[in-house]
Amino acid sequence: MNSVVLRYTNLMVITLIVLSLFSFALAYLFPGHPIENLTGLSTEQLASGYQHAFNYASGESLLVQYWHYMAALFNGNWGFSFHTGLPLYEEIKHVLPASIELSAYALIISVLVGIPLGFLAALNHHKTTDYVLLSVSVLGYSIPVFWLALLAIMGFSLQLGWFPLSGRISLFYEVPVETGYIVLDILLSDIPNKRSALLDVVQHSILPTLSIAVVTTTLIIRITRRSVIETLDTEFVQAAYARGLSTYQVLVRHGIRNALIPIFPLLAMQFTTLLTNAMIVETIFSWPGLGNWLIQAIYHQDYPAIRAGMLTVSALVVVFTMSIELTIRLMDPRRRRVRRGTI
Amino acid sequence: MILLDVKNLTLELELAGEWVKALDKINLVINQGQIHALVGESGSGKSLIVKAIVGALPNKRWKITADRMNWRGQDLLSMSVQKRREIVKSDISVIFQNPINSLDPLLNLGDQLKQSINIAALPKHLFWQRNQYKNRRVEELLHRVGIKNHERFLKTYPHQIPSNLLQKFMVAMALASDPKLIIADDPTRGMEVTSKAQILRLLSRVNQVKDTSILFVSHDLLAISSMSHCMTVLYSGQTVETGELQQLRKRAYHPYTQALLDSAPSFRKDLPPKSPLTTLAGTIPTLHHLPIGCRLGPRCPRARKECVVTPSPRKIHGHYYSCHYPLHWAGR
Repeated sequence: MNSVVLRYTNLMVITLIVLSLFSFALAYLFPGHPIENLTGLSTEQLASGYQHAFNYASGESLLVQYWHYMAALFNGNWGFSFHTGLPLYEEIKHVLPASIELSAYALIISVLVGIPLGFLAALNHHKTTDYVLLSVSVLGYSIPVFWLALLAIMGFSLQLGWFPLSGRISLFYEVPVETGYIVLDILLSDIPNKRSALLDVVQHSILPTLSIAVVTTTLIIRITRRSVIETLDTEFVQAAYARGLSTYQVLVRHGIRNALIPIFPLLAMQFTTLLTNAMIVETIFSWPGLGNWLIQAIYHQDYPAIRAGMLTVSALVVVFTMSIELTIRLMDPRRRRVRRGTI
Repeated sequence: MILLDVKNLTLELELAGEWVKALDKINLVINQGQIHALVGESGSGKSLIVKAIVGALPNKRWKITADRMNWRGQDLLSMSVQKRREIVKSDISVIFQNPINSLDPLLNLGDQLKQSINIAALPKHLFWQRNQYKNRRVEELLHRVGIKNHERFLKTYPHQIPSNLLQKFMVAMALASDPKLIIADDPTRGMEVTSKAQILRLLSRVNQVKDTSILFVSHDLLAISSMSHCMTVLYSGQTVETGELQQLRKRAYHPYTQALLDSAPSFRKDLPPKSPLTTLAGTIPTLHHLPIGCRLGPRCPRARKECVVTPSPRKIHGHYYSCHYPLHWAGR
């Protein structure tokens, strides 16, 4: 087991190093002076006041420069934004929790809805329920996210007025930032109207969450359905029926575990889709998250911000995917090291 | 006493939009305490019969009809699914031919064995004694099939165990519910001689000691002749000949049975050394290209014009055969 953890950690670290190399290369690939792209400060500013903050060793070999870049990265010294002039590390620390919150809600909803519906479709294979669910999922999968979000805004916020248009929380509530996760912040804070603030947050997050969750849910329905159908076709499930177990018993004892094992790695792969969709939806709903922030940075040709944002997003994806894969790997007894018993 | 009585069992499968009779009017009678062999080439529908009896057909489209399919006087086909499962659970066990695929890969062997113990058959106990009792029973079962190191064995997963041990484990699982009928679907497939002998001896012993009937599905004629009382020969989904083993060996009426017996050199006393073995020309037809009438027709050395009509089974001294022109039969 230790060797497996070691191997996955190793793989993860190497991937992250490659990513950091790429982000370092971006400084040279973007137009402009590399030191400006890295620090977000003009050469004059660097010369005048900020020299103490950076130790970039320009003029040295690329390897030495990379070493200094990494040192600055780990010190939380990620440079400054061209556009706002604020330190990037602080900015990302501020916007990242909002994105994680949104994606997490969407992921939880799509798992909670998608897996049971997938099971339902598979258990009614070749019946009306199956066909209905399948066609609904094709429909949901084919709708572009940005269009769906716009429709949702038009219908539910403008015409019906059920949900607010944009943002994360109404301006009436002043929640002091502690963790960046707004629900946690409200619970930790001592503002007078906690309950209504929470309700407001929930109202704000419903539309963006649902617009992201639709695509992921339909994907999960399809993955689950396929996996369950395949599991129910295997010989050991038939053998269980032949032993006189009822459909329910077969499903609980043998079906669910065996069907879920192949689902989770595929689910982890859907995380990137989820994150991309979250970025688009954030822009539409003016959700103050990483996606919105990154797209603004791209508009403003804010090279240091693009570099830092890209590194953060990709690191997030890599860490998430790897941890899911590792969990699955450790859970699956088939892939444990074979120790032949002597009998 | 008749345990299982199947008459004219027909199983139709849908293949590429057409309904094909994968099993055509199968007759099978199993008496209490008997070892009944079911012989046939690969693809003759042996496993389908097994699955049809226990009601574990794959989730594809199929139709099943029979004049009679009785388990100790109760009709299996007309009863509710629930009831049928109960009967199968308490009275019938199946040893599947492919142990590694027939076991759940994610559960350890101990859990799987405990699942097949029939709780209803346990003596009166309180719920906290149940697990203890099950553990004792599991241990006893494993020892019975010749697995000594039970503690370690029960904690392992199917893929960690060599297949002959798994096969013994399948036998233990089949014995767990103290069934009245064990259906052994090719239990010795791909085994080397010693393990094979162990399994066969085990099955015979269970038959003798507990008076358990065994439906022994195989194509190993030598094994069959050493232990079974009756034999049913199957060809391409049709029962060709049924009877007591000794009678069948002495005097087979159906050309296919004769060809089958001739193809096994151990049954031929008169076979000179280095002479070619007799075989039937051709191969068993696929489900897409089944001949009409007697399905052996195209391969049969004695086929004539009448063979395009399916022969009805005829009986001589408890010996059934389905052939228009039987061997040893000068009457026609």
